[in-house]
Amino acid sequence: MLIKSSKQVSRWRTPKRFPVSRNSGASPASRIEPGVSWPEPEGATRVQRFKVYRHDPESGKNPRIDTYAIDRDKCGPMLLDALIKIKNEIDPTLTFRRSCREGVCGSCAMNIDGTNWLACIRSLDEISEPSTVYPLNNMDVIKDLVGDQTHVLAQYQSITPWLRSKTPAPAGHERLQSPEERKRLDGDYECILCFCCTAGCPSHWWNGDRFLGPAILLQAHRWLVDSRDEATGERLDELEDPFKLYRCHTILNCTRTCPKGLNPGKKIAEIKLMIQQRRS
Amino acid sequence: MSDWKRHDPLNRNPATARSSALYRAIGLGSAKSGAHHWWVQRVTAVALVPLLVWLVASLLAHARGDHQVLALWLGQPAVAVTMAVLLMALFWHMKLGLRVIVEDYVHADRVKFAALIAVDLVCLALLAIGVFASLYLAFR
Repeated sequence: MLIKSSKQVSRWRTPKRFPVSRNSGASPASRIEPGVSWPEPEGATRVQRFKVYRHDPESGKNPRIDTYAIDRDKCGPMLLDALIKIKNEIDPTLTFRRSCREGVCGSCAMNIDGTNWLACIRSLDEISEPSTVYPLNNMDVIKDLVGDQTHVLAQYQSITPWLRSKTPAPAGHERLQSPEERKRLDGDYECILCFCCTAGCPSHWWNGDRFLGPAILLQAHRWLVDSRDEATGERLDELEDPFKLYRCHTILNCTRTCPKGLNPGKKIAEIKLMIQQRRS
Repeated sequence: MSDWKRHDPLNRNPATARSSALYRAIGLGSAKSGAHHWWVQRVTAVALVPLLVWLVASLLAHARGDHQVLALWLGQPAVAVTMAVLLMALFWHMKLGLRVIVEDYVHADRVKFAALIAVDLVCLALLAIGVFASLYLAFR
């Protein structure tokens, strides 16, 4: 089945996690140790438990999995509501990023039940009991659910994600686009750079130092198809590289996990086609 | 980025480096190649679809024949030429695919370069043996 969007429901039930033991291949400092089970709410009829990854690299201790339980009747509908409730009422040391609480800022991207998604738009009705909450797979943990985005943001900077045009801006009005030209940005401009896709991409796991990853390639595509940008050739020159672009092997984890329902896999294929178009 | 992930061919980023994240993300820049590899991999894949269907169907048709029958069939000019084309597409495709696997998973430069040379030479050797066998059956 070709994956076209994360809205697709798979016909098969796939394992939530790749079936290997949890600590397989982890460096000694990353091995997960048993954590704390926090007290359950009293008198609750609908209890939801969370197994949350806790790690503070500065403490010198190994990561652990803490178990929290909340009363669904006294909690908002989304996972982020539950995390905020845990932080407010159970354990104030739990650390995570959050801002807009409605899926437009991309701060609360995390690995929920084995799938990268935004905590603020993952309904508690959709998660397992108990549910696992881990940080994004591919980033050094700063604390708990907060990953270090320095490298992926530097990769973003490396594709010059701004308008490069030799034609001076027209006086008195903006650089104009026809509705058709604007339409080409659909499916690109909605990206909020939450890095759910890049963190789920095996090619970026193995070669993330050189492969740009789906989020950044989607952004590169956004500037390649912009009718106002005049650096298309230079941009393609920069992208044509066995690692920067061609490390994408169309695994399509990116499209499967995009919480905005975008299709980065298709956009990467379009970049490859653009390079082929100018060669023949 | 984790140290174990930093494949650092020129030792530009030793543990004491104070270089910027952008410097590390840019690395050695674009190789400005890769499109040819991508295109040829697709061309050979397209070629292999009919060729492999033909090969499997032909082998099934000769399943009841003995060695002599199969050798005679392979010796026919059209079959020998098709077989040579199939072997070229197959081993070229194999060379390109194995190269990607090595680049994906082997990160120590010396081992990687040795493995890439080995992949190319082994595929070339297998191709030479296969084409020689086809011609041998055609011209003996």
